[in-house]
Amino acid sequence: MALDEAFLRAGEPRPTLRFYTWRPDTLSLGYFQRWADLAGQEQAGAVVRRLTGGGAIHHAAELTFSIAASAAHPLFQGEVRASYERIHDALAAALLPLGVAAARRGERPVASDDPRSAMCFRHSTAVDLVWNGAKGVGSAQRRTGGRVLHHGSIKIGTTPIEGPIATLGARVPDLDPRRLASLLETALAARWGASFRREDPSPAELEHALARASFYSSPAHLRRR
Amino acid sequence: MRPDDRKYTRTHEWVKIDGDSALVGITDFAVQELCSGNEGDLVYCDLPEPGRALEVGETFGEIESVKAVADLNAPIAGTVLEVNVEIEEHLEVLANDPFGRGWMVKIQPKSKSIDGSDLLDAAAYEKHVATQEH
Repeated sequence: MALDEAFLRAGEPRPTLRFYTWRPDTLSLGYFQRWADLAGQEQAGAVVRRLTGGGAIHHAAELTFSIAASAAHPLFQGEVRASYERIHDALAAALLPLGVAAARRGERPVASDDPRSAMCFRHSTAVDLVWNGAKGVGSAQRRTGGRVLHHGSIKIGTTPIEGPIATLGARVPDLDPRRLASLLETALAARWGASFRREDPSPAELEHALARASFYSSPAHLRRR
Repeated sequence: MRPDDRKYTRTHEWVKIDGDSALVGITDFAVQELCSGNEGDLVYCDLPEPGRALEVGETFGEIESVKAVADLNAPIAGTVLEVNVEIEEHLEVLANDPFGRGWMVKIQPKSKSIDGSDLLDAAAYEKHVATQEH
């Protein structure tokens, strides 16, 4: 989380695309969610509160990615909804070689929707990516000072906290998250000309991240609402 | 054309001098970016406590739509005098009347004049928005 914040704040002119997985498995709250509205904190290996909005996610069997860029970048220009459509359409193209036909949900709710849940994957909107009648990608953004941080979570498997959602593992057993990351980067570059930086984080970004490393899992931040 | 009785920031806030104080809000463009015309997509707005001192560009609050959290940045320096409590209960006001009932905070400006600042007048803001639309 702290490294994503550093990428958001640093002002690097080229977009930054970062892929990661989690150890231990971690439950992340959306920025404005109420701690008391959540269930499952004690079942997760760790808990953090994200910088981005939306619902909670149990990061276990999944590939997580973040994109940090100027709000003027073609991926993010204009309405938030439009930027979701661009990123989700690239994601859908990335999943095709895996034999997964993901598509924007459209107007009809899906089987994974549960209005009583505080979990991201149990709520869907028209622009969310679904397959097999359920939501399979979680997305959220933070916009500040003319820059955007986009968080994406692509489910390879599910957990008892997440419940019944769409997963890639159901179609592709033993899917390597690195293969998925490569497919996604290629699809984003092909569709949106997104030329991502290739090097490691800068010393300033690392310094920023280290200074903020403990903030996102601090009790005060977790229980701020 | 947006109201020309106020100034605008490049991050889509507005400030209107109102006697000895100033009203601050966000523009219709900012609201549209967040909720695409669906006012129900606005879910939460966090505004500061009265008495808080703000510097130019400082984040004074945050607004959340179904898909994004956005910072609210102070167009001018000053002290928060009052917060529009109607917004916290009725976020649709931001979509329906962003330049009127949708004001967010009333500020006691640090400086009596906002001329000569980096703020944009209505015509310049229109041009800025035109560069942002996709």
